Amino acid sequence: MKNIRQILLVSIILLFSSCITEFIPKTTEDQELLVVEGLITDKPEANTIKLSRSFHLGGFNVPKPLTGCDIRISDDLGQSFSFSETTPGTYTSDPAKFQGIIGRFYTLHVSTNVTNNNLNYESIPMELKPVPPIDSVYYEKVSIVESSNVSAGQEGCQVYLDTHDQTNQCKFFRWEYTETWEFRLPYLVPNSICWLSSNSNVINIKNTSVFEEDRINRYPLNFISNLTDRLRVKYSILVNQYSLNEDEYLYWEKLQNISEQVGGLYDVIPSAIPSNVYCLDDPNQKVLGYFSVSANSSRRIFIKDQFAGVITPYTDAACISDTVFGGGPILYLNTSVWVIINHPSPPPVYSVITRNKLCYDCTVRGTNIKPDFWEGGK
Amino acid sequence: MKLKFPILILILSLSLNLGAQEKYRILSNFKGLKFKEFAARTEKLFAIKFFYKDEWVSSLKIGDYSDCQTLSCVMDNLFKGTSLYYIIEESGNIVITDKYAIKVSVTPIVKDNNFLPPNDYAGSVENQHTEGNASVEIGNPAERNKPGNVVLSGYIRNKDTKEPVHGVTVFIQKLSLGTVSNEYGYYNLTLPRGIHFLQFSFIGMREKKINLNLYGTGELNVDMKSVLIPLKETVISAQKNVTLQRFEVGAEKINITSFKLLPTSMGESDIIKSVLLIPGVQTVGEGSAGFNVRGGSADQNLILLYGAPIYNSSHFFGFFSAVNSDLIKDVTLYKGGIPSRYGGRISSVLDIGSKEGNRKEFAGNAGISPITTHISMEGPIIKDTLTYLLTARTTYSNWIFGLIKDPALHKSRASFYDLNGKLTYDLDKNNKIDFSAYLSHDSFRFNSDTVYSYNNSILALKWRHFFSSRFFSSFSINNSFYNYNISSQYLVKEAFVLSHKINSTGLKADFNWFTGRHEINFGLDLNRYAVIPGSYQPFSDSSLVVPHTLEKGRAWEGALYIDDKFLLTSFLSANVGMRMSSFFTFGPQTVMIYNPEFSKSVSTITDTLNFRRHEITSKYAGPEFRVSLNFRITDKNSFKINYNRTRQYLHLLSNSTSISPTDTWKLSDYHVKPQIGDQVALGFYEMLFKNNFEASAEVYYKVIRNMIDFKGGTNFIMDENIEKDIVNVKGKAYGLELVLKKTEGKIRYSIGYTYSRTFIRSLSNFSEEIINSGKWFPANFDKPHDLVVTFNYLFSRRFSISSNYTWSTGRPITFPVATYNMYDDVLVHYSDRNKYRIPDYSRLDLAFKISGNLRSHKLAHPNWTFSVFNLLGRQNVYSIYFKRVGEVYTGYKLSVFGRAIPSVTFSFDF
Repeated sequence: MKNIRQILLVSIILLFSSCITEFIPKTTEDQELLVVEGLITDKPEANTIKLSRSFHLGGFNVPKPLTGCDIRISDDLGQSFSFSETTPGTYTSDPAKFQGIIGRFYTLHVSTNVTNNNLNYESIPMELKPVPPIDSVYYEKVSIVESSNVSAGQEGCQVYLDTHDQTNQCKFFRWEYTETWEFRLPYLVPNSICWLSSNSNVINIKNTSVFEEDRINRYPLNFISNLTDRLRVKYSILVNQYSLNEDEYLYWEKLQNISEQVGGLYDVIPSAIPSNVYCLDDPNQKVLGYFSVSANSSRRIFIKDQFAGVITPYTDAACISDTVFGGGPILYLNTSVWVIINHPSPPPVYSVITRNKLCYDCTVRGTNIKPDFWEGGK
Repeated sequence: MKLKFPILILILSLSLNLGAQEKYRILSNFKGLKFKEFAARTEKLFAIKFFYKDEWVSSLKIGDYSDCQTLSCVMDNLFKGTSLYYIIEESGNIVITDKYAIKVSVTPIVKDNNFLPPNDYAGSVENQHTEGNASVEIGNPAERNKPGNVVLSGYIRNKDTKEPVHGVTVFIQKLSLGTVSNEYGYYNLTLPRGIHFLQFSFIGMREKKINLNLYGTGELNVDMKSVLIPLKETVISAQKNVTLQRFEVGAEKINITSFKLLPTSMGESDIIKSVLLIPGVQTVGEGSAGFNVRGGSADQNLILLYGAPIYNSSHFFGFFSAVNSDLIKDVTLYKGGIPSRYGGRISSVLDIGSKEGNRKEFAGNAGISPITTHISMEGPIIKDTLTYLLTARTTYSNWIFGLIKDPALHKSRASFYDLNGKLTYDLDKNNKIDFSAYLSHDSFRFNSDTVYSYNNSILALKWRHFFSSRFFSSFSINNSFYNYNISSQYLVKEAFVLSHKINSTGLKADFNWFTGRHEINFGLDLNRYAVIPGSYQPFSDSSLVVPHTLEKGRAWEGALYIDDKFLLTSFLSANVGMRMSSFFTFGPQTVMIYNPEFSKSVSTITDTLNFRRHEITSKYAGPEFRVSLNFRITDKNSFKINYNRTRQYLHLLSNSTSISPTDTWKLSDYHVKPQIGDQVALGFYEMLFKNNFEASAEVYYKVIRNMIDFKGGTNFIMDENIEKDIVNVKGKAYGLELVLKKTEGKIRYSIGYTYSRTFIRSLSNFSEEIINSGKWFPANFDKPHDLVVTFNYLFSRRFSISSNYTWSTGRPITFPVATYNMYDDVLVHYSDRNKYRIPDYSRLDLAFKISGNLRSHKLAHPNWTFSVFNLLGRQNVYSIYFKRVGEVYTGYKLSVFGRAIPSVTFSFDF
């Protein structure tokens, strides 16, 4: 129904010479709420639960991990597994002791320490539902038509996903993906080939209970614009598919409904979305986030193809070269930004050519360690 | 003072009157003839004509009146001992009346003699209709000294169209006594015997004043003339004095001539926009569908056209009303004091009175404005008996899309049309039938892959039967249908059509009985509903969408009502009524039973009940009391108090601020209880400065139970078990409405100020159903301060200026207040519901109207209206929304009318 709302907005704007101006509301809220980011899967891996605090709208996005909490999960057979804090605010299970089992119900228990008022939180029991494998992940070239005067021949890449469940058990899906791509510097420097990764930050969910078959075709997972250098050399995407309970699906759907655009007359009235975690001691304490229990399947593809109009961040304008003349060693040269690439000797005439470090060392953006899964040579 | 003179003459001439008619000398003897034969023969002899009813004279035979030399002498003898009276006019008309005599003053106003035999609608006495002020005598003069009050009643009709006029004020200033004509044009007053000065007034009609010499119970029928070019009345107002006399606190009547002159937004006169100028009526934003009356949500307004409910009252998402103003005769809004004959909605009733076709001649009107065009035609098929009225309206806004270069919008289309037709047939003087039909359609296509459309249709058949001159009835059957369809072909495999339908059939029987000091209304109201909450179908064969239709809802709503209006003392009158309403839902239906210890959700279902066909799945019933008291303090002011309860069984599910086109209607059922509203209102009304000013103050307090709200972020399209997303909330509203109006003269204005608050509170014990910690919070349409000023200046009969100014507090809004990180994403958390407000709203509109020509016999009357909407160009905030750009949330404010919008409308009558 998102579409309808857009229609309304567009039609209103067109017909009634309306105008839109930026507006930052002044609010008086001072809330720091518990945020639970937890995912238990059936994979034989360490599971992590992250706890943090929320921050003010418009404030700096500095993570506020919540440390010193006591975290465990219990299942419907009465077993209990504790988590240990590995980095501040991140609590990890021991994969030797705990692995999610399909069909079990899991409950999260959180107790904060004295500095955080000794509060106890608990989730509702969540069932671990099975998930089918991903049938395929594939891509198609998309030519981009821009209304602006950008020259023709612009291409982007649309990544699609197909999956199906013959057993009809998984009706609610959620996907996350991690993109990794290789990039190269246009200069002959030691660190010129690197890899960079980025995680999805869009909610990708689908409900197949409205379809005859438990089958998803051409789910548009990710669109890669040519305004990044992802597609310049080689690109890889790892897709994780998760099974959801209906309750969790509805949580994500509500989150999606209110996180993209809110406040318009035809938009869903925004409100806090209830978590499946609640405070045992103080029912008025709001909790954000969700304790997810999902089975997981994944698939990776590589894309090495020619796309027209893919930009590079390493243009001459971005990689400024400069020559500095001086009588001696250059003082105050910020070597984290500037790199001396040539300093002819001997003095007294001391000249150096400097270059933006971003363009000189690819590890400024990424890592020069080739990922394990990367196919092909350097 | 000049009026007293004719009365004096009238009384003096009483004894002389009969003797004066020596014109028709009778030489032959008519002994033994029946009256009819006598009449026929004398009509041949003289240039005279008798007017009478056959049944009055059927038993009369002419006796042996050999002493008689004159016609009057014969008639005197003949009518001796009967209840018949007669009058011989100078022009030769002889009018016979039953039970009461008519008397006219001396010659200059003989023509103004105002009298119609009761029930005689055939028009034989047409010539006698009053042109100016008249003097009339009713009853037997011999009874003039009898003690006690007598009853005066009669009909009021439009002189040109012969339609009964509903809502005419009949007022006697000296006694400060008055009434309003009912929908048949009938009025009824209990008066002391004596000389009275009656005023008949109605917006858009020439006021009529009649001197009445009342000796006994009798009837006085009046024809009123509409003002040809309706420049006189431009202010929306309850009519002068009506406010003092009406029983209801908060009833407002708008006449078509009033709102046709109001400034328009897109060149289209719009009834809903006029309603918004009434104190106590608010809207959440410009161009949003629906309105809010005294703290009620938009679905709590019963909008009746041809007596049937309209389920979607707007075109184009709320920018235009779905009802063409060409067919509207008048509109009555009940904000409180809802008469017991109406029911089914909590907050208000907007009863749109439709015109009947012209009974005399063909007439029409056509007009164009920048976006719409409309035409209406009316006239008799059989003169004075069978008439028709047809109206049509459509838009041609598509050209705007054609102008847009953006390829996505270039293909977009928006259109609407509406059609109305009405046939009125007077079977005989006591039976009248009308048949009305209405159809409206809207569609919108966005970028040629999503098509959105909706339709309203109404069919109504009404039979009015007059049992006697004091006992009326009306029987009607109607059907109202609404549906919407949304289809998308964006992905061939997922192409779908989503639709929603509601169909209701209503049967109504209303009785209206005047007896002495009482006016009793009673009747039956029966409605059958069928609702398809949602249907999701594949668009084509290649679509994988599973055809799925949500279970149909079926219900009957039945109500019996009775109320009585009566005078308790000379200064206190009362209207006491009760409506007993009931609601039954029927199977086949599947009802989920939830664990009562948890909030309803899919995982807390414990059982499923399957109801068979015709099995009752839920039933609700309850009395609705409606009581009003009217104290007349002096002849210039009155005080009214009113209580009413209303029950609502049909709900519009809307989780957006405004009514959105995807909202669906929901019947009360096993889980969803009916909404119940209670309102107490007090009003004080005063006429100031020789009745040229009218001031009123009304206060109200209202409580609504079982209102519907939703759990956060719910999208309930195609929701199988809507009850799991519904939160039961309670509403309360209170307010003060102050109005000052100048309703006479060339310059007229009104100032209305409203202070009102509306709050909602969630009642559940489950955390996810609690909104704002269970505290009272302002409703979406809570706008405490609201000021409306209207101003009219009538330069001349041809030129007029009208203007209105509105200022109100901004509506509440929920702002995002915190962000947090989850799965590398930045998410946002919201404040308490409606904690903040958008900026205040202010708008000034101006209209200038020119009527082409005043000559009534000209072929076509052109009218030009120049209108500027939002003259000051203020960028009123329509909504504030938040959009995520990258990892940052930014707020934007949208103004719909960012500048002044001028428009020109040209229309002509033919």
